[in-house]
Amino acid sequence: MNPLFNRRGEPFTLPSKYLLFILTILCTALIIITFNTNLFSGPLNVVAQYIVVPFQKGITTVSEGIISFTDRLQAVSNLMEENENLKEQVDLLTTQNTNLEQEKYELTELQQLYELDQQYSSYEKIGARIIAKDAGNWYHSFVIDKGSEDGIDVDMNIIAGSGLVGRVVDVGPHWSKVQSIIADNSAVSGTVLSTQDNLIVSGSLELYNDGVISFSKLVDDADKVSVGDKIVTSNISDKYLPGILIGYITTLEEDSNNLTKSGTLTPAVDFEHMNVVLVILEKKQSTE
Amino acid sequence: MRRFVVTFILIIASFILQTTLFRYFDFGYIVPNLLIIMTCSFGFMRGDKSGIWVGFLCGILVDIMFGTYLGFYALIYMYIGFIVGQFSREFFRQNILLPILLIISGDFVYGFICYVLMFLFRVRLNLPYYMFHVIIPEMIYTTIVAVFLYPLLMRINNKLEEIEQRSAKKFV
Repeated sequence: MNPLFNRRGEPFTLPSKYLLFILTILCTALIIITFNTNLFSGPLNVVAQYIVVPFQKGITTVSEGIISFTDRLQAVSNLMEENENLKEQVDLLTTQNTNLEQEKYELTELQQLYELDQQYSSYEKIGARIIAKDAGNWYHSFVIDKGSEDGIDVDMNIIAGSGLVGRVVDVGPHWSKVQSIIADNSAVSGTVLSTQDNLIVSGSLELYNDGVISFSKLVDDADKVSVGDKIVTSNISDKYLPGILIGYITTLEEDSNNLTKSGTLTPAVDFEHMNVVLVILEKKQSTE
Repeated sequence: MRRFVVTFILIIASFILQTTLFRYFDFGYIVPNLLIIMTCSFGFMRGDKSGIWVGFLCGILVDIMFGTYLGFYALIYMYIGFIVGQFSREFFRQNILLPILLIISGDFVYGFICYVLMFLFRVRLNLPYYMFHVIIPEMIYTTIVAVFLYPLLMRINNKLEEIEQRSAKKFV
């Protein structure tokens, strides 16, 4: 007997097993298609733009508001006292500032003289707000409120404060998805600033609770690299612009092959309390 | 139609809350999995077909916003919804203990599948660590939320059923 149709003429219903079967095939097909191409990302990103992103923006703003409001209440009493102290400081600093400004003028002149490389601060940047974080607890990707119409494109670098946060992996019209360098599936090619030795920085869920990420494949024959050294993005990375600060070495160990070293580093960015990030509107590929 | 709209809004709402509001109330970087609560509750209250659809929608939402491959999470959520739906015929629905147990085991299975497919395949072998730092904390937090959320979902469902029965009587 055919289970799809019954003789009594009752309304047509699809048994759940068949439904499951059809949807399974659909999902598998979608996985295969997205694995090989990025056919759907355009239209679906537009759908998400209108259904989900506006609410995420709103709720994030409200919850940030609530948290900052409670913080504010606690802070008010301290503020009065601080205000007095700060006023005194302002006078002091104004005089210092004029001195410094003079020195800065001298410095820029000298830098131009020596043709110092100032790329890092000269990149064109745009500010963006984080509106949602990954739905699961496995990876650390997040969504920001600027997208392709603000000039953002896939593989653009994200920084916060002075350190590297990650890169854009997906864009919609007014939102984009960022993969952070602490996510377990991310790897960045880095350089130790003092010795110019290359290494690979990779995120790790296991180390995340200790506030560090791991690095490996550091070739350091002369034993010059030490704990506390700065690690920046390297020149050979194909996604990341060179010279962006990643973090500072916390531990350093020799690998069992006696050729390379590995260890952990503390990121320069506080990933837990990050609300606003900067997107560098320049891609590594286009600069070359 | 009314049921479809209400369910759709509930799914979107839980997805949005999970990615925004609960991120501010996380414990040790862990957020509860509201979508698994939705999938399991609807699977249990309305049968396997509902479970499949709700699971599929929840999963595809996660895929669009955060997934690498479209359909990956949809498959996981869908099968959990289907399996939980098998229980809806056998058991009395008003009892809260069984659905909560189903949500707990659903979340555990979800976490475990995620570990196997996304971490074990990349040779991250430290299962105890992931078990005690991600899967089980998420399970506990999800359970706490489910204890409050499930009765609410059940009430919404009962209300919808009441309205449906009333309008069905009118036509007879």
